[in-house]
Amino acid sequence: METLAEQFDERYQVSLILKNVSVTTEKDGVILDDISFEFKPGRIYILIGRTTSGKTSLMRAIAGLLPIDSGEITMNGVDFDEKPIWERDVAVVYQQFINYPNKTVLQNVEFPLLRKGLKKSEAREVALASINKVGLSDYLDRKPSQLSGGQQQRVALARSLSRKSHIMLLDEPLMNLDYKLREQLRVEFKEIFNSQKDAVTIYATTEPPEALILGAEILVMHEGRIVQYGSPTEVYEQPQSTTVARVISDPPMSILPVSISAGEIRFSDGYSQPIPAKMKNFKEGRYEVGIRANDIVSAKSGGEKGTISLVEVSGSETLVYVDTPAGEVVLQMEGIHDVKVGESISVELPSNRLFLFETNGALCVSPDGAGE
Amino acid sequence: MYKVLKATFITIWSLFVLFPIMWAITTSFKPESAVVNGATFIPFLEFQPSLIGWKAILPGAYGLSRFTYGWKNYSNADIIFFFVSQRIMPPVVLAIPFFLLLKELKLLDTHLGLILVLTSGLMPIVVWLMVDFFNALPREIDEMAMLEGCNPIQAFFRTILPLSKPGLTVAGMFCVIFGWNDVFFALTLTATKVLTLPVAVIALNGTVTPYWILAASTVFSIIPLVGLAFVIERFLSRGNLGGAVR
Amino acid sequence: MKKGYPRFFLLPGLILLIAIIIFPLLFTIRVTFSSWNVSQTGLNFIGGENWAEMARDTRYWGSMLRLFYLSFLTVAIQYALGFAIALFAWKGIAARRFFRVLWLIPMMTTPSLMAIIWRSIFTEDIGALNGLLSRVGLNPVNWLTESGPANIAITIVEVWQWTPFMFLILLAGLLSLPKEPFMAAAIDGASAWKTFARVTFPMMAPISIGAIMIRLIDASKIFDSVFTMTRGGPGNATETPAAYIFQRSLQDFQIAYGSTLALMYLILAILTLTIIGKVFARLSKPRGI
Repeated sequence: METLAEQFDERYQVSLILKNVSVTTEKDGVILDDISFEFKPGRIYILIGRTTSGKTSLMRAIAGLLPIDSGEITMNGVDFDEKPIWERDVAVVYQQFINYPNKTVLQNVEFPLLRKGLKKSEAREVALASINKVGLSDYLDRKPSQLSGGQQQRVALARSLSRKSHIMLLDEPLMNLDYKLREQLRVEFKEIFNSQKDAVTIYATTEPPEALILGAEILVMHEGRIVQYGSPTEVYEQPQSTTVARVISDPPMSILPVSISAGEIRFSDGYSQPIPAKMKNFKEGRYEVGIRANDIVSAKSGGEKGTISLVEVSGSETLVYVDTPAGEVVLQMEGIHDVKVGESISVELPSNRLFLFETNGALCVSPDGAGE
Repeated sequence: MYKVLKATFITIWSLFVLFPIMWAITTSFKPESAVVNGATFIPFLEFQPSLIGWKAILPGAYGLSRFTYGWKNYSNADIIFFFVSQRIMPPVVLAIPFFLLLKELKLLDTHLGLILVLTSGLMPIVVWLMVDFFNALPREIDEMAMLEGCNPIQAFFRTILPLSKPGLTVAGMFCVIFGWNDVFFALTLTATKVLTLPVAVIALNGTVTPYWILAASTVFSIIPLVGLAFVIERFLSRGNLGGAVR
Repeated sequence: MKKGYPRFFLLPGLILLIAIIIFPLLFTIRVTFSSWNVSQTGLNFIGGENWAEMARDTRYWGSMLRLFYLSFLTVAIQYALGFAIALFAWKGIAARRFFRVLWLIPMMTTPSLMAIIWRSIFTEDIGALNGLLSRVGLNPVNWLTESGPANIAITIVEVWQWTPFMFLILLAGLLSLPKEPFMAAAIDGASAWKTFARVTFPMMAPISIGAIMIRLIDASKIFDSVFTMTRGGPGNATETPAAYIFQRSLQDFQIAYGSTLALMYLILAILTLTIIGKVFARLSKPRGI
């Protein structure tokens, strides 16, 4: 029950609402498919999905750079259809650091402020504060071409932040930066976003770890649709479908076709395991099971047998891809192991860590959440 | 053997290239040629027409680059072709109506008249060059400007235009050369008050004037443009013309 | 949502186009059906008389034919020479930058003024060329007073003036070619000629076509050199349509008839160039596929 104060609080009215937004083009077919969502102010939304899932298109539609074929986008009650791009008050940070090449860093950040109508002195103040926040105060007079990639991205960020727009869109802004810089900026982002109280912040990424670190709410996109949204924990522990599970899992989740009969889970090569408690109530028939890479255990004997097809050492872990008759399985082992391609290996798939999906991909049981 | 042939060819060609010019220069130094006629004719006349025409065509080229005109059945490429194909128009076809028109408007023998007419010849070149050039500039810059509060006009003037200096320079150069060299329209549309260099020199040509004076004025009028040759070569070596030529 | 902006941008150019080209053209068409000349100004209507007279005008058609030969010949020579020196200036010789500037110079000069110089070179008695020839033991040629040599003289002038244009476009094209095919050819041990025939030339095809088309379009308008150097002479031996029409309409002031000739000129130019363009387009399509 809202208090009177809350009812009059502007914050509760400045929502970005999309209703049945669809976009189709001749060249690429359906880009956005009947998207409806309410983005509330003061929250950080993460869009995650494959490259063609529609994340960028969604953001461009909100910004006005992509005309929509049907549906409506409203912000604060105002229909965006009546507002051209330059009146929408949307700030965007692109993946390929777009800055004005012929303006200095300071001029770059001042530009939108002057456009907004601030006086020169005010604009300068705000710009300097923003530049300070991203740590580039020593570079005020440089042109973007004289800066490194990370610095250019920060200029773009400073420019967008200083505007204090109601909508802030970031499209994979860290993708073109090196690993260390990415980690550093990710942390900085979190701080910065949390200070944008009135804005809707939407951040697109293809990397699940990034999504899970940054997000207040995650929207999983696939083929132009929002297939799931929720808190990071929800999405991670209860992916609503194999599609979502695939998108959100890094390292990848192994998904294998099985059939349930006579209290057992039977894999396609005949190997079977007793059915875990959570799945006892399900009809017999065909299903798919999923299991996270770090839940699979290599065993001396027993379990599934297969041959190693690929070994990836990353950081302090080893990813082992195993070809088994039941399907391909990926397991993650801590530390660096000396396993070679072509070796035989046995893996165990602990029943209590299994996800159960219908054959159409819908989730039935997840190991960490409640069952269906 | 091949090398010898090559060297011979190059030498012959280079001599061929230089011959008329050297002839002109040496002739101009023959006796009675101390007067350099060029001073009489104001070079200013030459630049004006070119630059104005250039400015009028620019926005058109930008629009063609950025937007998709879905106008009935015509696409961007068609519109561009429409402009560029004007190059086929022989000046003589337009000269007649222009002559009559300017006569009516009392614009014969004026700067304005000549300027207006010369812009017609400039259109194909400017459109051709600038559309290519604008296409090479990333769209994201205008998008960014629009997101930050500029309508398309402001976005164009504040962001794209400053970036277009190289392209504008090349286009401007072509315009200047065109205006400078033009004989046809100048001949047709001017008489005594407004003279462009070539016309004045040709007039001298008609009467019996010693060659050396002609040569002197020719050399003088050629020098500025030869300077352009250096500029173009530098552009070439740096690869800037590559995008303009296709 | 861009509202009227695209149209706004196109407007200046479109207005200019209509005012400066469309209207004059329409006017010209109308004039050809009148008899506007020195004694009778104004638009009356005489039907197709002008057109009939044009059909009988041998001087006109002679100039057309001449233009045909002249333009194809000069463009062909310009292309061959231009390509040759472009190849040299690309990477065949030392002091490349020097030669590049040198070879650009003719194009940078004012055609009409250079034609005056050329006139002094070609003039029989005191001209430089005949002087040179006699010193080498050859007979002097009546460059400007005989029709054959006069046309050759015009050709020489045009080639001198415009080969650099071809040179420029072709050189720019050569400079923008990717290096990989050449490396592959070198590895395969291809000779210089083979590399040219199989790699360079085919890759330059679109640019070559573009350059040739542009030069053909420009060559179809030849006026400056003719008017300045020979006035179309001796007699009408070197007259191009542009020169003839100029004289007829603006010096003899036969506006209506001149317009007829001009219009026909335009129509022929458009037709010929379009056909050539289409032929080129078909030639450049890959075979098979």
